[in-house]
Amino acid sequence: MSERQIDILLDSLLPLLKAGVAFTIPLTLVSFALGMIVAVLTALARLSSIWPLRLVAGFYVWVIRGTPLLLQLFIIFYGLTYVGIILSSFTAATIGFTLSVGAYGSEIVRGSIQSIQKGQWEAAASLGMTRGQALRRIIIPQAARVSVPPLGNSFISLLKDTSLAGSIMYLEMFRVSQQIVATTYEPLLVYSAAGVIYLLFCTVLTWLQSILEKRLARYSAS
Amino acid sequence: MSGTTMIEINNLHKSFGSLEVLKGIDLTLEKGKVLAIIGPSGSGKTTLLRCFNLLEVPDQGMMKIGEMSLQFQQGNGIRTADTLALRKRTGMVFQSFNLFPHMTAIQNIMEAQVTVQGKSKAAARSRAAELLGKVGLGDKADAYPHQLSGGQQQRIAIARAMALDPDVLLFDEPTSALDPELVGDVLKVIRQLAAEGMTMVIVTHEMRFAENVADHIVMMDGGVIVESGPPEQVIGNPRSPRAIQFLNRVTNYDVT
Repeated sequence: MSERQIDILLDSLLPLLKAGVAFTIPLTLVSFALGMIVAVLTALARLSSIWPLRLVAGFYVWVIRGTPLLLQLFIIFYGLTYVGIILSSFTAATIGFTLSVGAYGSEIVRGSIQSIQKGQWEAAASLGMTRGQALRRIIIPQAARVSVPPLGNSFISLLKDTSLAGSIMYLEMFRVSQQIVATTYEPLLVYSAAGVIYLLFCTVLTWLQSILEKRLARYSAS
Repeated sequence: MSGTTMIEINNLHKSFGSLEVLKGIDLTLEKGKVLAIIGPSGSGKTTLLRCFNLLEVPDQGMMKIGEMSLQFQQGNGIRTADTLALRKRTGMVFQSFNLFPHMTAIQNIMEAQVTVQGKSKAAARSRAAELLGKVGLGDKADAYPHQLSGGQQQRIAIARAMALDPDVLLFDEPTSALDPELVGDVLKVIRQLAAEGMTMVIVTHEMRFAENVADHIVMMDGGVIVESGPPEQVIGNPRSPRAIQFLNRVTNYDVT
């Protein structure tokens, strides 16, 4: 590595890390938190006995899963301006990722709820609990544990998918790395540096996920 | 003929699709008495038991538990408030225990007291501790279900079912999932409850136990009651051919 390359690397690390901490991570956290709320509500709607709820929730999941995420972001950020809705790139990205996490996450939550034995519902019912009480006190806490590993996957995917927000003018880590490459002409070096930072973030997340799994597993034999 | 009637059902029918599982059941049980329901698998005995707390909703007939009376008609649902009210007066013990695995033994017993009855945690805890002592597991309050044997889990489940002070306890084959050496502890608890005057309905395969503990036995087959009366009559001196056939089969099985 030449001296010039070492200088470029050192000069780009700080802006990359800054973009990661100030843009990539907030977008990931906010979208995931909102997405989880959407996911649980959508899952409950899909399991509801009220058919219009099932229909709306099913339609939403179908559309989001059946179209590319990048295209969804373009529609929200660029497309909506044509009907007078002008959003900041952060808002547009947050909406896009929330909808995406909500749709995929709802399938995980739905599967986890359905994986809980019927006997748990019956025991709760036999004690006079309403359906809502049974869900809140008995079913969801057990389903949460089942859904942590797949939701952890979604979280990690989301962190990397936020790089798509660069194409709607959001200054996250990947977009910043592109800007640095445009002035330094060192794509291999700068993109690799960005890759290492993504890897670092994901490693921390994986570690946090394993702690959460252990905490939730304290009541199970395995 | 002196006691008050706790359970009364008339002409109860239940079908699953085109399969008629209960074909007009009539039954009465006095307060403080123990009813055992026996019969071959598929006879409808578990379905009948599950009708008592509306885990299955009958299609037709009348059911009265305590002062609560319900009429069933095909296509007419039961109001949610009635269902919940009925379930607060009945407790159920399941074949596979169905303890809440994410809660400790004492939390399992506290849960409905807090969530359903709105009791304070402290009051629920003291009642739960008392019940744990009663089923002989006072030292297991903080154990999770997976740390307990099947027999211990089932005794916790009995304590959980009693936590709301129900009028009637319903048992669905409470010892069928247990290793033989653990059956005794569970039966002992049920016997003790019977001695204390708890009204109970028990679906069971344990003929000797049914004979010992029950005041009244009904034998079901093919969705109808084929034999009904005190144990010495139903098991000792059955009259219907189907009852005789069933009892021969189980007693032979017991011997070998």
